Amino acid sequence: MSLIECRKLSRIYNRGAEEIRPLDQLDLRIDAGGFVALMGPSGSGKTTLLNLLAGIDRPTSGELEIGGLSLGDLSRKELADWRSEQVGYVFQLYNLVPVLTAYENVELPLLLHPISSGERHRRVSAALDVVGIADRHSHYPRQLSGGQEQRVAIARAIVTEPTLLLADEPTGDLDRESATAVMELLSRLNKEQGRTVVMVTHDAKTAQYADVLLHLEKGRLIEQEEMAS
Amino acid sequence: MKRIIRTLPFVIKQIIRSPIRTTLTLGGIAIAMFLFSFVESMRDGVTAATTATAEDATLVVYRENRYCPFTSNLPEFYSKKIERIEGVANVVPVQIMVNNCRASLDVVTYRGIPEGDLEKVLEPGWRIEDGDSASWMRRGDAAIVGEALAARRGLSVGDSFTAAGITVFVSGILESEAPQDRNVAYVRLPFLQESMKRGGTGSTVTQFSVRVNDPTTLDVVANAIDETFEHDEFPTSTRSEKAFVGQAAKDIIELVGFASWLGWGALFTVFALVANAIIIAMRDRIRDHAVLQTLGFTGSLIGAMVIIEGALLGLAGGAIGVFAAWLVTRIGRYSMTMEGLNVEISSDPFILVIGITVALALGVLAGIVPAWRVSRLEISQCFRAV
Repeated sequence: MSLIECRKLSRIYNRGAEEIRPLDQLDLRIDAGGFVALMGPSGSGKTTLLNLLAGIDRPTSGELEIGGLSLGDLSRKELADWRSEQVGYVFQLYNLVPVLTAYENVELPLLLHPISSGERHRRVSAALDVVGIADRHSHYPRQLSGGQEQRVAIARAIVTEPTLLLADEPTGDLDRESATAVMELLSRLNKEQGRTVVMVTHDAKTAQYADVLLHLEKGRLIEQEEMAS
Repeated sequence: MKRIIRTLPFVIKQIIRSPIRTTLTLGGIAIAMFLFSFVESMRDGVTAATTATAEDATLVVYRENRYCPFTSNLPEFYSKKIERIEGVANVVPVQIMVNNCRASLDVVTYRGIPEGDLEKVLEPGWRIEDGDSASWMRRGDAAIVGEALAARRGLSVGDSFTAAGITVFVSGILESEAPQDRNVAYVRLPFLQESMKRGGTGSTVTQFSVRVNDPTTLDVVANAIDETFEHDEFPTSTRSEKAFVGQAAKDIIELVGFASWLGWGALFTVFALVANAIIIAMRDRIRDHAVLQTLGFTGSLIGAMVIIEGALLGLAGGAIGVFAAWLVTRIGRYSMTMEGLNVEISSDPFILVIGITVALALGVLAGIVPAWRVSRLEISQCFRAV
């Protein structure tokens, strides 16, 4: 069953007189529970597609449906509410809030949810346990290594139990060992918790963790590759 | 609203965990609000000392065209003539002596009054807080000292102190609602006249304090007194006590009026400090705001958080500054004295409330524009700006 459907999806920017089309009439389906890697050269539209899937950017034309909901029809506030419930986003540069501890960073998205502080504590602790960083819960981002920061960022992304986990080059800033650990974690979240993962990457080794590789070029899908499990 | 309440600890952490920025901002706000509150305290003191009320029933009879206690000399026997004027309840001759002719925050004013007239000259609502009036009657050099003067000079019953070359014994501390009574030392008239003989005052007094039966006849009685002595060797000028203070302390009132511009300047400084702190913080946190939006925080929620941050900075800095100013005026018990008249620097707790409310309002105002701008930013714009 498909979770994501893009039909003739385009995103156009105007830079002065120049028109830029990072996404051009893209048609795409991603199944629920899948692990998809988006690959392609710089400017191919990978990150633009990821931002559209996250609802942090809007398409210029075409249709984008996620879980049967047309994102183009939602207001800014509705989109924000949808994001807080359905999407977990992992950035390349972790983007943890520097004045908050690991625990508080993970707790942040739960502040939007009407749950008790006890329930919040339970969920944050569980998320930190899943990413294996519970012992560092009181550390600030500056006291953590890059790999540890990315684990905290992943915990923050999964703490609301979203349907869709989006990752923009999650290992791009990590050494090989940390990158492997992060990818195994994402893979485990996909396999064990059934979360749909869409990840942008340049790295072929990282892409091997995915079930499906989508190759983009000039805003179009040029190749779809099923990976052997 | 519930979301705003849930995010409040996050806003507080952002303030507390940026200690240098917060300390500098709070320090600036506290200093500016200290200045504002101090100016307000002075204005409040001037208002209390010079604003006439319907209950005012006291007139001050002074020598015409004289503005200083050293040059206003009136014969003591005038009191008998004044007593006979219709509408007068009682008359007390008062000799004034100050230790300092200049404007100062610590002037000692002696008021010499006849032995049996202490209760007549005091404004209603007084009481001897410590000591008693009987010992004042018994001892020639005894003084009943106003509470503010006693606090300022650290005086208590049994102490002796010297000012203007006159040494007196403290026999009581006077608590009163009238600023003039709180800031003077009441001594016996013959003692003060004797002590001042070197100045050649003889049996003259500086002024008469006249209480009228009916406050609505204040002007009528004042005119009657002045008409009585119009053709005498020592013509008089009679006004209500508040008007008298207003006239005598005109220079102080003008200075306080000018100082109110400083108060406005202080408020503008608070606004600028909070706005500057918020704008710089917003620039530093542009990535954080993009992350918050990605997590599902709406623009309006982030805007509300910015306004709350401004309000908290204004509130905390304002509270520190206003409370410090209140403490200084409370402990110092300062009064601005000119020509023997006192304009107290008020320490009314209401100024605390006003100051903190103003600081809070300025904090909110300073946060509005940055909040509006932040709430309208698109996530992609934020990330591009980093």
